[in-house]
Amino acid sequence: MRPNHHLDAATLLGYSAGALPAAFMAVAATHLSLCQVCRERLRQADRIGGALMQQQEPAPLSAGAREAMRARLAQLPPAQPPVPPAAAAASDHDRLPLPLRPYFGETFSGLRWRTIGPGVHHIRGPRMEGGDLMLLRIAPGRSVPLHSHGANELTVVLRGAYDDLLGHFAPGDAADLDGDTEHQPVTSPGVPCICVAATDAPLRFSGWLARTLQPLFKL
Amino acid sequence: MSTPASQANADAQYWAEQMAAVALRRDMDCFMRIYDHFAPRLQRYLLGMGVSAARAEELVQEALLRLWRRAESFDPARAGLATWLFRVARNLYIDSLRGEPHWLPMQEGLDWLDEQAPADAGSSAEAFADHAGLKRAIDSLPPVQARLIRMSYFEAKSHSEIAHELGMPLGSVKSSLRRAFAKLQAGLGGVP
Repeated sequence: MRPNHHLDAATLLGYSAGALPAAFMAVAATHLSLCQVCRERLRQADRIGGALMQQQEPAPLSAGAREAMRARLAQLPPAQPPVPPAAAAASDHDRLPLPLRPYFGETFSGLRWRTIGPGVHHIRGPRMEGGDLMLLRIAPGRSVPLHSHGANELTVVLRGAYDDLLGHFAPGDAADLDGDTEHQPVTSPGVPCICVAATDAPLRFSGWLARTLQPLFKL
Repeated sequence: MSTPASQANADAQYWAEQMAAVALRRDMDCFMRIYDHFAPRLQRYLLGMGVSAARAEELVQEALLRLWRRAESFDPARAGLATWLFRVARNLYIDSLRGEPHWLPMQEGLDWLDEQAPADAGSSAEAFADHAGLKRAIDSLPPVQARLIRMSYFEAKSHSEIAHELGMPLGSVKSSLRRAFAKLQAGLGGVP
């Protein structure tokens, strides 16, 4: 998988700084788990963080901290070789990307979709501060009403595909949009399009079909 | 003559050597040199993020403990020691302070993916040179961009929070951060 649409630089910086709302962290991490290009860019952002941290004026720790550290190390058992995280092992087609599993479970087949309109299903993630996380499944060949966003929306395609004025979005691609973007995705024929999305404001629809689909985005 | 750039390179080289000694033979003296230099800087970083002094100190100790335990996984061709410690401290901060219990395993999964990928073509010597370029690039950021970068990295403010606090449109916050990132990437020798 080689995504063609990547995270905005501002999003990457926020991720590196630990400053994104949790829902955006999860969606950004999903793209990162699928995109080596953005992992490389993240490494650059982390180097910025490292350089800034090193330029800081030192702040003294408490008087006993240094000795406490030594004592702790002396008591450690011999180091074991690091174990690669089991969850990062090669995943089969049914497994969700690693960063989404804590929120939605292990597999696509285990997802419990809620119908919210003809051909449209969703699953809301757990409540999180500063933004909402959800999975969307839209039937193939369907048009989502024209909408814009009050603030930020970050979407990553997991299965299927869609097109809008920004291009073709296939699995792994990230649509990193801010408030000014108005778009009308149309899902590709074939399989349903499954996306994960984070929003930090309710979407605003313009159009009659919007009323039907409003619950989809009404958070 | 020692220029700031050659000094930065020498520093990076020095810390890589200390880490190698910790990895190879659990050298306590080398570890304590790393501790004495970085622990107070990590402490300052976490205090800036709004962490209490006592909690910050726990996280600093935990970060350095991880450094001791995982010294073998440190690869100076991939990241300097400052970057490595920044990532660990940032992850611990998110994990414990923001109550995101999923963060650490997720981040470790991404790190693991990175380790499977081939390292950059650039040698570690070139990586050190980039580090000096980055410092220059940080120092020469325009004031607004420098402020936004600092609010992100040192106060963990989201883009919306920054926009609200400075009375700037969200789009301007993001475009300023984009421009800043491009300049800093250029300082790293990466493609903007």
